[in-house]
Amino acid sequence: MTVVLGFEGSANKIGVGIVRDGTVLANPRRTYITPPGQGFQPSDTARHHRACVLDVLQEALQEAQITAQDIDCVAYTKGPGMGAPLLTVAIVARTVAQLWKKPLLGVNHCIGHIEMGRLITGAKNPTVLYVSGGNTQVIAYSEHRYRIFGETIDIAVGNCLDRFARVLKISNDPSPGYNIEQKAKKGTKFVELPYTVKGMDVSFSGILSYIEEAAHKMLLSGDCTPEDLCFSLQETLFSMLVEITERAMAHCGSQEVLIVGGVGCNVRLQEMMAIMCKERGARLFATDERFCIDNGAMIAQAGWEMFRSGQTTPLEQSWITQRYRTDEVEVTWRD
Amino acid sequence: MCRGRMRKLKAAMAGATPAPPLSFTLTVPFPSCLEAQIAHDTLAPDAEPRRGGITKQLSVNRNILRVQWQADEARILRVSVSSFLDLLSLAIQTMDRFGPPLSEQ
Repeated sequence: MTVVLGFEGSANKIGVGIVRDGTVLANPRRTYITPPGQGFQPSDTARHHRACVLDVLQEALQEAQITAQDIDCVAYTKGPGMGAPLLTVAIVARTVAQLWKKPLLGVNHCIGHIEMGRLITGAKNPTVLYVSGGNTQVIAYSEHRYRIFGETIDIAVGNCLDRFARVLKISNDPSPGYNIEQKAKKGTKFVELPYTVKGMDVSFSGILSYIEEAAHKMLLSGDCTPEDLCFSLQETLFSMLVEITERAMAHCGSQEVLIVGGVGCNVRLQEMMAIMCKERGARLFATDERFCIDNGAMIAQAGWEMFRSGQTTPLEQSWITQRYRTDEVEVTWRD
Repeated sequence: MCRGRMRKLKAAMAGATPAPPLSFTLTVPFPSCLEAQIAHDTLAPDAEPRRGGITKQLSVNRNILRVQWQADEARILRVSVSSFLDLLSLAIQTMDRFGPPLSEQ
């Protein structure tokens, strides 16, 4: 039996998860929620994490009903993400690893999402669409790397949604994306927006600028409702994502799609992806908000795979890094 | 911020060697040598930005953690010291709550 404790705090969520041989024993999480119209700043987010990380850790240990002795390895997010929040969580991981004399393991956040998705859904070798507030990538596994087939060339799809929510002063509780999704269900009119797929890559910043300007004009003149804009934005962004995912599948001859990351729990995105998969005779795998949205168990799960394949991170090499690409990691746990 | 810049500017204009950097030293006693070492190893891995105009050195002598900064500008020094104190405090809280450390076997 191998028990791994995982710490995640690269953005506005702080989570501690415990995984024992493919079973999630505990996975508590807290979210730093800002007022409508405001994003989360690194230093405020770090302050939030500092204030509750130890409570979340205690909660995880209690819920899993284990003690420090039962843990085999302490995993934490090494990057990518916001510097100050990453560092806050790394400090706690390093301290407890030393207090309890356990090996430490720095995990790539994106790899955490992929491994959690594979564990929960049972997808064997999927084409992965990783969509969140900070990342947008289409990934496929080959020769010990998760290779990036396409990605955003500017902002992440979730960042586009979050910032649009700020323009309309949509609530950030529980998340701006969730509230946009609910509003979009009531949209009836499709407002045409720029569609910016560039080969295998996508671009969202132009769409955001366009809809920001259109929002002010069209809402004022009564040409459309906020619900129509939420609907139109989702349809446009998700069509682009489905298109590049399909192209990657065609390249790889893949018959599985796995959606991970915070935007991945959007049911409309899952629906649109399911239509494409059905047409190609492929299978779609997705998870719900517990595992899609950043959480500690995903870091524990990726850590579990890495630790079992013989990896650990010496303390002096345990620095955090804001930039850390998915394809930098050698995947030592897959054939 | 202005003072640091002005000083650099003046030094550059006069063609003189720049003023000696600002420095700050912090010493923190711990209940034991082991805890001081844990704090050191927890806080040492993350280097200051390479061209940030600041350096930070950590060392341990018995149960005392010692940190020394050198910086060109007061603003940068203040930010670095202040964020270090936040992290140090978090490490100490973690030890208080999830310690004491298992001693060497």
